[in-house]
Amino acid sequence: MNIVGVDIGGTFTDLVGHVDGRIVTSKTSTVPSDPTRGIADALRLAGCDPRALDEILHGSTVAINTVLERKGAPTALITTLGFRDVYAIGRSNRIEAFNLFFKRPQPLVPRDRTFEVDERVLAGGGVLTPLDDAAVEALLPALDAAGVKAVAVCLLHAYANPAHERRIGDILRRARPDLFVTLSHEILREYREYERTSTTVLNAYVGPRVGGYLRRLDGFLRDGAFAGQLRIMRSNGGVMSVALAQEQPVSMMESGPVAGMIGAGRLARLMGLPRCVGFDMGGTTAKASLITDGMPAIEAGYVIGDPASGQPMQLPVVDIVEVGAGGGSIAWVDDTGGLHVGPRSAGADPGPACYGKGADDPVVTDANLLLGRINPRRFLNGGMALDTAAAERAMRAKVGDRLGLDATAAAAGVVRIADTSMSLAVRAVSVDKGVDPRDTALIAFGGGGPLHAIAIAREIFVPTVIIPKLPGAFSALGMLMAAWRQDFVQTLIGRIGALAADGVEAVFAELAAAGRAQLARDGIAEGTADFRFLADLRYVGQEHAIPIPVEGVATLTGDAAVVRARFDAEHDRRYGQSAPSETLEVVALRLVLTAARGDTVAEDWLAQPWEAEGEMTVEERAVVFDDPRAPVPSRVHWRPSMPAGTVVTGPAVIEEPSSTILIHPGDRAEVAREGHLIVTLAGNGRG
Amino acid sequence: MAPHTVDPITVEVVRNAVVAYADEMANVLCKSAYNMMIFEVRDYCCGLIDVRGRMISQNRGGLPIFLADLGVAVEDGVAKWGLEGFAEGDVLVMNHGHVCGQHLNNVVVYAPCFHQGRLIGFAANRAHWVDIGGGRQGFGSNATTEIYSEGLQMRSLKIYRAGEPDDTLFQIIRDNIRYPEASLGDLRAQIASCRMGARRYAELVGRYGLETVEAAVAIVWDQAERAVRAVVERIPDGTYVAESFLDNDGRNLDKPLRVKVTVRVEGSRFTVDFSEMNPQVPSPLNSGRSGGIAAARVAFKALTSPDLDVNEGCFKPLEVVLPEGTMLSARPPAALGQWSIALPTVIDTILKALAPAVPERVPAAHKGDMGGCSFFGFAPDGSRFLLMNIFGGGWGGRPHEDGESAAVSVCQGDVRNTPVELQEIKYPFLIERHALRPDSGGAGARRGGLGIALTYRCLAPCRGNVNFDRTVTPPWGLHGGGAGDISKAVIERADGRVETVFKATDVEFRPGDRITFLTAGGGGYGDPKARDRAALEADVALGLVTAQAAARDYGREAAGLG
Repeated sequence: MNIVGVDIGGTFTDLVGHVDGRIVTSKTSTVPSDPTRGIADALRLAGCDPRALDEILHGSTVAINTVLERKGAPTALITTLGFRDVYAIGRSNRIEAFNLFFKRPQPLVPRDRTFEVDERVLAGGGVLTPLDDAAVEALLPALDAAGVKAVAVCLLHAYANPAHERRIGDILRRARPDLFVTLSHEILREYREYERTSTTVLNAYVGPRVGGYLRRLDGFLRDGAFAGQLRIMRSNGGVMSVALAQEQPVSMMESGPVAGMIGAGRLARLMGLPRCVGFDMGGTTAKASLITDGMPAIEAGYVIGDPASGQPMQLPVVDIVEVGAGGGSIAWVDDTGGLHVGPRSAGADPGPACYGKGADDPVVTDANLLLGRINPRRFLNGGMALDTAAAERAMRAKVGDRLGLDATAAAAGVVRIADTSMSLAVRAVSVDKGVDPRDTALIAFGGGGPLHAIAIAREIFVPTVIIPKLPGAFSALGMLMAAWRQDFVQTLIGRIGALAADGVEAVFAELAAAGRAQLARDGIAEGTADFRFLADLRYVGQEHAIPIPVEGVATLTGDAAVVRARFDAEHDRRYGQSAPSETLEVVALRLVLTAARGDTVAEDWLAQPWEAEGEMTVEERAVVFDDPRAPVPSRVHWRPSMPAGTVVTGPAVIEEPSSTILIHPGDRAEVAREGHLIVTLAGNGRG
Repeated sequence: MAPHTVDPITVEVVRNAVVAYADEMANVLCKSAYNMMIFEVRDYCCGLIDVRGRMISQNRGGLPIFLADLGVAVEDGVAKWGLEGFAEGDVLVMNHGHVCGQHLNNVVVYAPCFHQGRLIGFAANRAHWVDIGGGRQGFGSNATTEIYSEGLQMRSLKIYRAGEPDDTLFQIIRDNIRYPEASLGDLRAQIASCRMGARRYAELVGRYGLETVEAAVAIVWDQAERAVRAVVERIPDGTYVAESFLDNDGRNLDKPLRVKVTVRVEGSRFTVDFSEMNPQVPSPLNSGRSGGIAAARVAFKALTSPDLDVNEGCFKPLEVVLPEGTMLSARPPAALGQWSIALPTVIDTILKALAPAVPERVPAAHKGDMGGCSFFGFAPDGSRFLLMNIFGGGWGGRPHEDGESAAVSVCQGDVRNTPVELQEIKYPFLIERHALRPDSGGAGARRGGLGIALTYRCLAPCRGNVNFDRTVTPPWGLHGGGAGDISKAVIERADGRVETVFKATDVEFRPGDRITFLTAGGGGYGDPKARDRAALEADVALGLVTAQAAARDYGREAAGLG
């Protein structure tokens, strides 16, 4: 079984594979204009012949960047007569309660591209006003005139009866086969029209761009005679087929970041850490997720972008907090002399000034170079020589001169600002949730994670930092551990005890059929899949429901005592009380369909004893830690040559092919049996 | 004794932990609640209170007007029972009108918190029950004149004593309210929330020690106070006055009510003086002192520290002058059913007073009412129903951008409208339209935001309340901007009769009747003639401003004419 994971970030493309019994890796610059070229480079650098691969797993930021940069397709929205403004009105809430200049979500479809059709389905699924085909066809000229490439259709109560949405979909797809059409019930069969509309619009908005990207990628791999499976990471922590990804690109919003957190979870379990924070610093952003008992938390949905002005997305997603600071984040000085880092990023092209591609904006990587923290000759495993003079020029021109600082002092300021900003993400998932960071450890990865993690940990008093093997490509490694997963949901409202068995049976059957169809499409044998059914339950009168595992129709419509006991117990666990005498109500049925990987090669590799290569060499260079005027002579180690049990005390730098680890004065780093680096921070322990 | 020093890490941990606990309490309450006033409207607050009734922390995201006002309820209980009068496992309920100053639906539940047998504080929450008995239903009724007709009052009663429920009190509650299952379910959620908060706080104190925790809290308050004082110091010293009017008290429809405020800024002191506020009224449009204080605090916080967590320190620089007997400080036995209705206008008026001093910080007036509707009756299956919904309206234009449309009032924060689909699943209504209301935004260089139009068609006989305000002083513009359109409701009877309604209680509806709620727009900011022409054209193209209004209010010359 030869498998490869490829993670395309805003700056770098990382590859980790298990090929012919060994781990292969590569790291290369992302080519934003043609990311498939980055994949080609990564495969070539890793020595992978696509013909020999059985499976490629892929994560990409293409979907989320399309939303954040608002570069999606011109999209239209079709909705029920009278409800054109549901999407603009949203929920009318102001999450910035005391802010008189509060922001609200910025729609991706403007009002003049929102169209109403005269039709009406009732809450029970009955039809009040039938849909007239002619009315749909009459919209075509307007859609053409608006130049839309995608259409989102979200009709009232379509979760209960999707017939009208289907009909509109048929008409549009037949008349305009090039349009990317998304029907709300295909994405989410749950009531709440605004959230369903927003999720549907997101899917349509990113659809053409993501679809084009995936087609090019697939075509490129097939041209290289790749005959295996291409699978895409999705926000729920699982993977899906490329065909499904093209239909439901909204489910790959967090495609990039989740895989690293899945990997961090496995590592935490391996090392027996009940609670830790996964910290991933890439070129554009830094991300953090709280991992409890080896699992990152999964949320029922989230807001893409700024919490106040971003876009609600109502699909399961690994809970990750992200800040706009990464290695490529641009440092700049505002009119009042304030120094800022990010959120603008130099990306891969032109990249940092030190890449020597003519960029004149200094970024965090330039600062690290000027502080002696990264080695200009070993960047990307020696694959790219860095231009220190160019970094210095940019730092002086854009930051130093404006603040009256030399380049080194300016660089020290830039790094400090970036560290503070990134520490906010870690705080958000720990301290802000009442978790004492002193009870956690930081698992740091991503190209820049190991370089900054220890300063961030110090800032918020995390006592231990763990740098796994292959930190620079850890997200790609995480992909090799992710299961295939698809979530299905369908609204069904009724009281336990009064539910009609055939109605429940029908919904279960529909969910199971949808699941089986998806398995078949993705070429997964039904026998290897795990069908897990859940019912969203609540006490009659409540609004919020809790998903509770159910084994079949009879557990809801027959003797429901087992399900009842589970619900009461879960309600008590979450909310500190239960009401076993009250009537229960079903709101929706869910199917979580997973198919575990057939192999455990990546997990096995994480746990495998470390074997150092070559003789341990130690060099020395001056590194700026805190005082830019007083660089500290530091020992420089080569991580691949450090045997298990090696202890290094800071000030030190540990270099490896795709990352650099900075050990601050007094901190102690030890190579664990499996090769992971465990850094104990001086003075951050429990006193 | 020397002040207890606390290392800065512990201060940070305590600062965030106590707010996180309050948020966790809110999550328990919201997620297990039985009524939309809690799970959608978030008409609740949760917090930790010290033994002197001071607010240690409050949850984020609840109603802004519940600003550090749980302490009054707890203080009353401490005065009644004494500091030695609480036992582990006690839970108290409290909604006394003239102690709490709010309508009786707002029920406070609190539980003492102990560390090594010593009382260290309370976990408390307040939540809006759908019904508390009495002569009115839903919200928006103007039918009462005294607190006694507004429902059941409970003054710091122990509903649990050392873990044992008081069955008598439970039965009194059950027998005197309209939706006992829902409200007792909410009570259960409130109690669980308090127990959780008390447990978390005890854990925190167990870990760091009471002295350390209290010292850390004091440091957090001091920091907040210093930050806020620094902001107040930058406001030019002076006396600032503004006046506006509420339409009427809902019973005497031709008599506007004066809202007059004087703000004095002296150095880092900020005084809001309500001495010339309208006297209390013989209708439920009164609040106790907590209403006036809440209005002053919301305005003050919005001007000085919108980003800081709510605690006692934020409000140290604020002084509120509020003589007894005004409609914001009513004497017993005034009715309080509509306690919050005046607050959006009071807050807007305080902001208007400050507009000349800090023009960059004050937008034009917003829609100015609480924006809700309620319908009640019996569903076809005979069960009693009560539909309540909150909706948004326009906010005023801002110094550098247009006002937001369709947003809830300044008194409401993360308060959500009820989804159309949810309402139709639960109640006998067909909702025919949920739309923006073109031309409702006040004209201005920066346009006011738009109100909404929401149409209900009744499928079963029922009654409902309409409660709009701000027609006498519509949402005003600033610096030359025009006023926003006013709110109103239009009833179209099944037989074709049409009526326009502003305030009405117990309106009857028959199947086939329609009612459309049209909410106000925000005021404009700056001269409409100075509006960027591209922005104006975009408004017209998007249908937010009609061509007629663009010509009338902005002097737009229609393309292709002449």
